[in-house]
Amino acid sequence: MNAVIARITLRQLLSRRRTLLLVALSAVVVLVAILRRLSASGADAKFTADLLSTLGIATLMPLVALIFGTGAIGAELEEGTAVYLLAKPIRPWVVVATKLVIAICCSIALTSLPILLAGILAGGDGSGRLAIGFAVASAIGSALYCAIFVALSLVTSRAFIWGLGYVLVWEGFLAGLFTGTRTLSVREHTLAFAQALANPAANVFKADLPLGTAVVVAAVVAVVAVTIALRRLARIEIAGEVV
Amino acid sequence: MTAATGPSSRAATIEALPPAPVELSGVSRWYGNVVAVNEVSFRLEPGVTGLLGPNGAGKSTLLHLIAGLLAPSAGSVTISGRSVFGDPGVYREIGLVPEREAVYPFLTGREFVEANATLQGLPDPASATQRAIAEVELTDVQDRPLAGYSKGMRQRAKVAAAFVHDPRILLLDEPFNGMDPRQRLHTMGFLRRLAEEGRTILFSSHILEEVERVADQVLVVIAGRLAASGDFRAIRRLMTDRPHTFTLRSSNDRRLAAQLLGEPFVTGVTLEDGLLVARAADFGAFSRAVAARAREADVTLYEVLPTDESLESVFSYLVRG
Repeated sequence: MNAVIARITLRQLLSRRRTLLLVALSAVVVLVAILRRLSASGADAKFTADLLSTLGIATLMPLVALIFGTGAIGAELEEGTAVYLLAKPIRPWVVVATKLVIAICCSIALTSLPILLAGILAGGDGSGRLAIGFAVASAIGSALYCAIFVALSLVTSRAFIWGLGYVLVWEGFLAGLFTGTRTLSVREHTLAFAQALANPAANVFKADLPLGTAVVVAAVVAVVAVTIALRRLARIEIAGEVV
Repeated sequence: MTAATGPSSRAATIEALPPAPVELSGVSRWYGNVVAVNEVSFRLEPGVTGLLGPNGAGKSTLLHLIAGLLAPSAGSVTISGRSVFGDPGVYREIGLVPEREAVYPFLTGREFVEANATLQGLPDPASATQRAIAEVELTDVQDRPLAGYSKGMRQRAKVAAAFVHDPRILLLDEPFNGMDPRQRLHTMGFLRRLAEEGRTILFSSHILEEVERVADQVLVVIAGRLAASGDFRAIRRLMTDRPHTFTLRSSNDRRLAAQLLGEPFVTGVTLEDGLLVARAADFGAFSRAVAARAREADVTLYEVLPTDESLESVFSYLVRG
């Protein structure tokens, strides 16, 4: 970790306008929980689990991680400021590790904290355990997504589009149609972790992917993503004018 | 400014160090089928060298190759014998001012320069920052965010960030862009001073007057190839296929013209607007002969000026081929 790179990355990620949209999206999760609690239906564990899994883990988590993960280093490469970090006597892995940690921290702040708060506020039987389980699982999921999106931003200048395609098409569409594709879905891994951590009743929440599969695939994906990111940044080139 | 980081101690430090020669040997760089730099070889020594070329000639690619931000497709780029690409340690010796204007808009000028100083691992980044900011005359605005800086101010902040660690090699891509004339002169003087301290400075520009004012040597790049290198006046004299043009003022231009036409190296004379214009195939022979021929013709010479000795003439001859 490098403190200067960390500070610059943090200010860079938080100073963008899109961060305000993410804050608003995070607030929606909490707001829905409050409205439900205040409504005539009252607290219900099933509703809480659905809220945290669909709006929290399936929607908020990938969008936040996509924006912070691709913005952490991809935006610097695109805008041209990366040269101020890369033309320094610093090992590339320090730059990657620092950017990744900051992207993960920002993602957790805007994903796991609202999920925790929404889980507690929505209430229902065992809602505290649900909230903690989903929040911890979303922190792991955020880290996994960020690793993938940071690596993607070092592979292509269209990382945001590819990332959005993965989230919407692969995870949102194909994973619903073909069971096999769920194995390579961070969302499904996260839901499996959430189930293991919250241990809810079967009628409240049940993940589609077995925990063992989720742990193994997630670990492999994380290692591959970080390796790609380190290798790419060590050999990355910054071009001048091209004839 | 502290004694440890003041200009005089900096000069002493630089003089105590051996020069860091930059050497390119048979360097080519291509992007797919496009050749940006083609078989370029040269060696840079301490002093200011201007990198000239039309737009898209490969100037920035060359600077990025020297800065280790691009790997050569063929050949080698070394600094003090070390290959630059993939060696972060080389950045202790290099300061780079990129052409792209992008900076961190949310940082103040001081924060930006200090971040660069800290990333360079300087023991006292704060005082090195103050020295660098003072050199580029940004002290009064150092606490304003870069987003509010003019283009010229941003350029000066980039220059300060590039030399905050006292590098022996300074690479600047179009450094005077956006600067007003006074800032331009100040920065030119500053670069000259850095060069006198023993640094190797390479800067690209498409403004010939800037290069002529600052650079001891020029490198002319055309379509990715090194078209010429060295002192531009010496380059001009080597262009024997282009006649050298002189304007002369004398007590009797017609008689002097007739006398000069008798010389084998004089290819033509004209009388234009009261001035005698002579074209000679050999610069040295004409310079040596003109006074003697005037004396023989009993003509008093008032003025002899070579008119296409400017960098602009050299550059236009090279570019037009």
